[in-house]
Amino acid sequence: MDRRKFLGIGLAAFAAIVAPVAELNAIDFRATKPKAWEAEKSAEAIKELYGSGGLKKSGIKMTAPKLAENGGSIPINIKSDLDLESIAVFQDANPRSLTAVFTIPKNAIIDYDFRIKMRQTAFVTIVGKTRAGVLHSTSKEIDVSIGGCGG
Amino acid sequence: MGKMKIKAKAKGDIVKVKAMFTSLMADSEEAEKKKIEVEYITQIVGTVNGNVVYEVSTSGFMSENPLIKFKFKGGKKGDKLVFTTTDNHGKTQTGKKKIK
Repeated sequence: MDRRKFLGIGLAAFAAIVAPVAELNAIDFRATKPKAWEAEKSAEAIKELYGSGGLKKSGIKMTAPKLAENGGSIPINIKSDLDLESIAVFQDANPRSLTAVFTIPKNAIIDYDFRIKMRQTAFVTIVGKTRAGVLHSTSKEIDVSIGGCGG
Repeated sequence: MGKMKIKAKAKGDIVKVKAMFTSLMADSEEAEKKKIEVEYITQIVGTVNGNVVYEVSTSGFMSENPLIKFKFKGGKKGDKLVFTTTDNHGKTQTGKKKIK
């Protein structure tokens, strides 16, 4: 009986630790904004995700190669000192525009590195939303000599 | 889905993280071309001591075997960094690493 009790306590403790983790995801953008993931063009996708507010062309810095030799793996870095709530990556090179949406924890350092695929030369647009609701963006054209996505 | 490689190093009050996840990141068009199943990670969440330090929703246009780098405050040497990924089939995977 003691052993059973002990196991029970252990299980309860385990559940207590595990349970909050499952609810950590503040916003699942796939569930809340399914249309944004289907949009073909950046302009459309931005509208679906963030609404049709004006975009300020400041505050976000993107570092990416001007010419990408391998379209399957293009390194991109985004930095910002703004108090952003989320930041999203769009490109016009693939069948669908939206590539990634970062949910930014409070007091986070916004300095993200990641890699994306691009089939052809196109603009990459980064849009960030501040906690006050202001949209900031930056974009850059990347030349792709060999397309990604197996193309 | 396969392994996860995680590197986390504390310097002062900032922790630098580098992580690689195994996934083909194949969206429907690419999968059709290569005759493989559609498979990509839809979400990556990183936590330390129960606090989210990294969260991203992704599509199949991230590169194969996504490699990410980021920095965060609020972690120290010995803390465990836990990553959870979810793929398009809803399968999740977790990986842990102590911060060095």
